[in-house]
Amino acid sequence: MAQLPNLDNAPINLSSLRDRAQKELIDVLDSMRGKKVLVLDSKLSGPLALIAQTSLLKDHGVENLYHLSSEPVQSDCKNVLYLVRPRINLMKLVAEHIQHDNLNKLQKQYSVFFMPRRSVVCEKVLEEEGVHASVTIGEYPLYFIPFDEDVLSLEVDLGYKECQVDGDTSALWYISRAITRLQSIFGVIPNIKGKGKAAGQVVDMLNRMHREHPNNQNEVGPPEIDTLILLDRQVDMITPMCTQLTYEGLIDEFLNINNGAVEVDPTIMGGQQGGKKIKVPLNSSDKLYRELRDLNFGVVGQVLRQKATTMKQDYNEVTTSNQTVSDLKEFVKKLNALPEMTRHTNIAQYLSTFTTKPKFLSHLSMEQTLVEGQSYDITYEYIEEMIHKQEPLVSVLRLLVLLSLTYNGLPKKHFDYFRRELLHSYGFEHVFVISNLEKAGLLKKQDTKSSWQLVKKGLKLVVEDVDDSNPNDIAYVFSGYAPLSIRLVEYALKGGWRSIEDVVRLLPGPTFERRQGTHVQDTSSAIVNGRTSTYDSMVADGRRLLVLVVFIGGVTFAEISALRFLSAQDGMKYDLMVATTKLINGKNLLQTLIDDPS
Amino acid sequence: MSVSVAAEWSVLHNRFYRKQEIYTMCWQRVDLSRHKVACAYFGGPIAIIRDDSKIVQLRAESARPKLLIFSSSGVLLSSIVWDRPGGRLIALGWTSKEILLCVMQDGNIFQYNTQGKLLEQQISLGKECWEQGVVDCVIWGTGLVCLTEANQLFCVPDLTSPQPLKLADPNLEEPPHCFAVIEPQFTLSGHLEVLLAVGDSVLMVDADSVQDQAVSIGPVQKMAVSPNGNFLACFTHDGRLLVVSTDFSKNLSEFNTESALPPDQLLWCGLDSVLLYWEETLLMVGPYGDFVKYPYEEPIVLIPECDGVRILSNSYMEFLQRVPDSTVSIFSIGSTSPAAMLYDALDHFDKRSAKADENIRLMSTSLPEAVESCIDAAGHEFDLSLQCTLLRAAAYGRAFCSHFPRDCFREMCKALRVLNEVRKSDIGIPLSIQQYKVLTVEELIARIMKAFRHLLALQISGYLGLSKEPVLIHWACSKITAASAVPDEILLDMLIEKLKLCPGISYAAVAAHAYQDGRGKLAALLLDFEPRSAEQVPLLTSMGEDERALVKAIESGDTDLVYFTIFHIWHQKSALEFFQMMQAKPLARDLFTAYARQNEPELLKSFYLSVGQPQGAAEIFLKESWEQAQNAGARQGSPLQGPRLKLIDQAQELYAQTKDHNFEAKSAEEHAKLLRAQQELEASTGQPIFIDSSVSDTIRTCIVLGNSRAAQKIRTDFKVPDKRFYWLKVFALANAKNWDALEKFSKERKSPIGYKPFVEACIDEGENQEALKYIVKLSDPHDRAEAYARVGMVKEAAEAASQAKDGELLGRLKLTFGQNTAAAALFDTLRDRLSLQGGS
Repeated sequence: MAQLPNLDNAPINLSSLRDRAQKELIDVLDSMRGKKVLVLDSKLSGPLALIAQTSLLKDHGVENLYHLSSEPVQSDCKNVLYLVRPRINLMKLVAEHIQHDNLNKLQKQYSVFFMPRRSVVCEKVLEEEGVHASVTIGEYPLYFIPFDEDVLSLEVDLGYKECQVDGDTSALWYISRAITRLQSIFGVIPNIKGKGKAAGQVVDMLNRMHREHPNNQNEVGPPEIDTLILLDRQVDMITPMCTQLTYEGLIDEFLNINNGAVEVDPTIMGGQQGGKKIKVPLNSSDKLYRELRDLNFGVVGQVLRQKATTMKQDYNEVTTSNQTVSDLKEFVKKLNALPEMTRHTNIAQYLSTFTTKPKFLSHLSMEQTLVEGQSYDITYEYIEEMIHKQEPLVSVLRLLVLLSLTYNGLPKKHFDYFRRELLHSYGFEHVFVISNLEKAGLLKKQDTKSSWQLVKKGLKLVVEDVDDSNPNDIAYVFSGYAPLSIRLVEYALKGGWRSIEDVVRLLPGPTFERRQGTHVQDTSSAIVNGRTSTYDSMVADGRRLLVLVVFIGGVTFAEISALRFLSAQDGMKYDLMVATTKLINGKNLLQTLIDDPS
Repeated sequence: MSVSVAAEWSVLHNRFYRKQEIYTMCWQRVDLSRHKVACAYFGGPIAIIRDDSKIVQLRAESARPKLLIFSSSGVLLSSIVWDRPGGRLIALGWTSKEILLCVMQDGNIFQYNTQGKLLEQQISLGKECWEQGVVDCVIWGTGLVCLTEANQLFCVPDLTSPQPLKLADPNLEEPPHCFAVIEPQFTLSGHLEVLLAVGDSVLMVDADSVQDQAVSIGPVQKMAVSPNGNFLACFTHDGRLLVVSTDFSKNLSEFNTESALPPDQLLWCGLDSVLLYWEETLLMVGPYGDFVKYPYEEPIVLIPECDGVRILSNSYMEFLQRVPDSTVSIFSIGSTSPAAMLYDALDHFDKRSAKADENIRLMSTSLPEAVESCIDAAGHEFDLSLQCTLLRAAAYGRAFCSHFPRDCFREMCKALRVLNEVRKSDIGIPLSIQQYKVLTVEELIARIMKAFRHLLALQISGYLGLSKEPVLIHWACSKITAASAVPDEILLDMLIEKLKLCPGISYAAVAAHAYQDGRGKLAALLLDFEPRSAEQVPLLTSMGEDERALVKAIESGDTDLVYFTIFHIWHQKSALEFFQMMQAKPLARDLFTAYARQNEPELLKSFYLSVGQPQGAAEIFLKESWEQAQNAGARQGSPLQGPRLKLIDQAQELYAQTKDHNFEAKSAEEHAKLLRAQQELEASTGQPIFIDSSVSDTIRTCIVLGNSRAAQKIRTDFKVPDKRFYWLKVFALANAKNWDALEKFSKERKSPIGYKPFVEACIDEGENQEALKYIVKLSDPHDRAEAYARVGMVKEAAEAASQAKDGELLGRLKLTFGQNTAAAALFDTLRDRLSLQGGS
């Protein structure tokens, strides 16, 4: 298994967060004595791989690892430990396993651990299936999983769908709980800003949790995080619908980054056909990737070429001229970067086979047209043709949603026409997808005029002449479109939202910027403990303040790149960290609305 | 002074023992010899009751015995008339939680707290035991073992879950001479073991087996297991005291007492000596045959502690212990240890003698060790002035140490303040420091508050920086029980005034108690102060306050808590009431429907219908029809889509009930229609490839199969727009390589989608020649140029591009033909020409 991402350079001590998660995982494993088999919710193996190495499982008595499926566990081991997300369908599988064992007169011990917490619903299902009495129930309270030095995610797959379509706000509670846990380690965050309905709900829950457990705040030191920005994904669904054009974003679009890694065909990496898929970890431990990930893809080729050229020059120097041993050493050191060079050259080459296709380019230009809000007819016809050609449903929906969002819905005639054409082309069962999209507000009938033009202008979302190789604006991540979400963060940090109040009001949901009142009480205790001096000096000595940007409902890689770009700007006095319910792109976000949950 | 301290010690081989008087008992006229006595460990209370197995003369007292409970100092805590049924009282003993167990002859066990209140929980050893009758019983902190008249053993190994268990049958004719218990935490197996002295040997009995230890040490008349469970002291019929390991593998010592009678009490004092008590004599025997004799005129009771033995007599409570090492090092006669010198230095210092300084200089490097010993020795003292002197010596010495840890001194002072407070006669908990450490502070505080000394418990908690919550909650609960006559509002104010001192305290716990005490209103009032919904909501539901519980759960945002409440209400209410409650709260409704959609579809249907949302029910019907389709069985060869159609029709009807769902109703109708058409197609073609494909797919399949009539029929039945039909047909024909038909189709009328799709379809199939037929039809020179480029016709592409006058296009085309230098040159010239034109 790949190495865990290196977290040493994180602005707050994320290693301790991971260590704690590791310890809690050990507690889960040790709760069952002796040898055991671990049956894992397949959705969890990725996140867990970011917490601990596989060897840890072996060290704690795990003989065999299975993914939870309808197949019964084929093992003589008497101890079976399930580690799952609290989902009803998984409970039915667990129950089936136990019933299968009972039928075969196998006597075993069962433990079911829920991540991040147990749920009444799941226990009820176990009860109804008649197996509740034979399982020991526990929880594995893993909330934020560190993906990188500056990225935390809960990885709740269906968070957006459950919130916006089903009205199940569990994900909001999870993220509130996760932030509360962060605050219990890194101090109560003094400033909170937020936009959107879910952001408001989360802030309410944060306050409530704070009230419910008021006594643990004295134990933590001065706040290490200065500002919390909560953004409801619903405020900006336009950005994820656009194709990401950063290196990392494009990898995600075409190869699907899962839990900080991609699985690629060996042919892409210059290997034999038909071999096993190769897992490539993608995080800042890979120095070259760290350099490339946030660049516009158009530039990546140049950078790689440049690197190769210098390397070749170095090589020539080594072979031709007389070099000292230390020069040689330098050279050999550079050679260590060679596997990374090969790896990224291969990936970049693979991506470019897509990006040069006329189809991709025309699709991009449609996105651009939609974001600019020009020429409704062209985009309308383009989408119509896509449907008639039965192009992949997700691609169609991405543009259709973009159309609906930028025009605040479709005229009734077109609305009905598209819905019908979709059903006719892709099958009537997709009536559920359409209904989901409508519930989430992603597809609707036009009722009022769209405010997109005002928002776009007010927030300067479309930037002409962005130099992708030497950008001066976050718009470079979409080659000309500045993601709305990140623009909001930018304004929040440069003078607050008051200056753009009129525009922010046009976006859905409440807006708030405040200091946490409880912090005032904190200072009194801080004086007693002589902490104020350290806190003041921390601000005064010019150290950068840390801002945690939380995307409720998911965040794309392009947005993270844009945030990194922001934080690297001259005059920006903040370090930025990202936390989210799930790392997403338009494709997999819409996919959650397409898949039938049962 | 130092001499006088050591003068009271006794020597046992090379060890010193001391016996200190802790209390003069403040009870009056208690004669232990007339009573059964049970003393709790860790300086706990003493229970006595008249021993009806002895013939005693009744003085001015009732014929019915009384159960009296005293503190260790003899303060009466409670007194109750003994009127329990169940035959004779066989044994009396305390658990580690200070619960008094009264074991009756019939195998029933009554439990009392220190206040003499009979606890509700009653333990019974079962029918068999009841029939046989208990004759003897051993009780320890967490369990008990009974011997019956039929020589069977019954036990409760763990009093926290009192499951009686019968041990293996030892098959005895005669009752054993005596028996002893090895507690579960000391045995290898982790289970209880009982030693029975039978004949000349000893039997080891556990739940499954009886083992004769096959030792012939002669009949054993008394046994005692050491505090660590490793050793056994046995008194044999011939007056010898043997110490053996509990597995009888080793004989450790033997001592002849020259007494024909067995002692009344046999007990370990620490791990180094054994105490034997006969009337008027207490004998302490050491490992090397040394002994000390203490005469007693009064009857005494020996109480084992972890670091010694307490000796209770009619008049005194004493503590017998091995003198701790630090104390020995300071006070033993002629000691020159650093600690003794430090102690001496303080003495000189107090006398303003310069020798003080000399002493300190002499010690130099061993000073920290001396300070440590003085602190430690202070801890072991019961005498306040001695504690004080020792601590002063430590403080004096510490002033000369550069890096002595501060905490050590401070912690000892804190511990001593607490100990001195609880040792006071009116509280009467004579803990030694060692016992205090083993017992833990939390447990001590719990004991104090259970004795209703809430203020003291609170002060100790505060002083030691522990949470005041448990004490305040216990206080509040006791207050509620005691103040049954106080009106709710007044009592609430009294409670809140104190409870608010501790932020984050669990109001719910107090409310739960109030509710159990039958004060529902007070409970409700208290609950309003509880900020933790997770505590508040379950209590509200158990109080029947469903609506409030639901509101609070929703406010908390904790979906799990909302579910908890929903399930509760679901079981309590009628379906209709339940539906109305759900419908009134959006979050509850959404969660309920999300759950029901997966687990209770039928219930959900009736929910939607009852709240007037037929479209919700329609969705479920559709979903069911879809699930049937997923079922492989339904798919395979089943020509009858009857059940599915029925479901879809039902959905359609439901959708049609509201006018907002015209579209959905229409879709369902079309869906059913399509399914019927597909069913027919499958029947007529004999190919099961139609069902569950879309309208477009069905048309395509028909065309590929060459059945254009069927395709046409679907097209008209479903009003397929021309554009879509053209796309489908073009690609289907190309796919079927039916080039003639394609050409014919292209000529039918002017294509509503132009001819680009024709070109594309041909190229996709690799038929560039076919494509050419349609490229010429392309009206836009751009399109033509690109199409020519795609089929590799450089010259034509270039021509078309120059016709379009598009330099950018030329550039792109040049790139496409990158390898072909001739072509590249061609494009360059064309572009030059264009740019010239543009320039002119």
